[in-house]
Amino acid sequence: MAAVNEERLQATEQLQRELGALTATVEHPNSMCTVTASPKGEIKALHLHPALLNQGARAVGQVVTETVRLATNAAVQVSFNKMALALGDGMAIDVESIAGDSPFRSTWNPVVPPEAPAEQAPPERRQRAPRAEDADDDAFFDNPSWLR
Amino acid sequence: MDDDVQRAARKVRDVEQAVSEHVTRSGPITGRASSPDGAVTVVATPGGPPREIAVSAAALRMGPHGLAAEIMRVAEKAQRSANTRLHQTLERVVDPRELTALGVERGQDEDDFGWRR
Repeated sequence: MAAVNEERLQATEQLQRELGALTATVEHPNSMCTVTASPKGEIKALHLHPALLNQGARAVGQVVTETVRLATNAAVQVSFNKMALALGDGMAIDVESIAGDSPFRSTWNPVVPPEAPAEQAPPERRQRAPRAEDADDDAFFDNPSWLR
Repeated sequence: MDDDVQRAARKVRDVEQAVSEHVTRSGPITGRASSPDGAVTVVATPGGPPREIAVSAAALRMGPHGLAAEIMRVAEKAQRSANTRLHQTLERVVDPRELTALGVERGQDEDDFGWRR
């Protein structure tokens, strides 16, 4: 019994270490900005494509803000995925019931598309994936874009 | 296990309500920091991504590497400010040790470049 508890303790500490060091890297859909962020929204690395600066100060601010948000959401989602792997989907769903939906559930098409010129058709919106009905389905893993 | 989860959820809801009432009175909690010359301004939220990152036209002359470094520097300051403000606001309704354990650190008030509340 003591050995089992010791194993659980070590596994918990290992999970905490992994979650504490976890980051996610995301490139903006326009390919001009890449951000590595922690689940707490800390920017760990930021790369700006030189061409982004030619689009003006306002565009730079908006693109960086969006990319940091996407990278943070991805890092939170990876945290959920790691937790589900370590503790099981059931526990991860319990955590969602306390802390709120994971980003994959709560956000979709999170980047606000730029306003299209009048002569250009508006960009097509992606449809939200159907929510998994069965709790046994691997809802935490079925979006490969979160697993970069 | 279910009972534990329900108890935890109930406690979170209670704290959430107390925090929500408190924040309704005090307004949204953010931290703001700027470069000394105003090149970059970041409005940060505690424990989340920045709400707004603004750069000035003059900041574009820093080049992609210099500007990226400056954004990271200012964003870190803004988030520290946001965390400190959250800590100061919530320590009246939540045990400060629990806030620190949750990663909401209370930093020291700094008055160097661009600290504004």
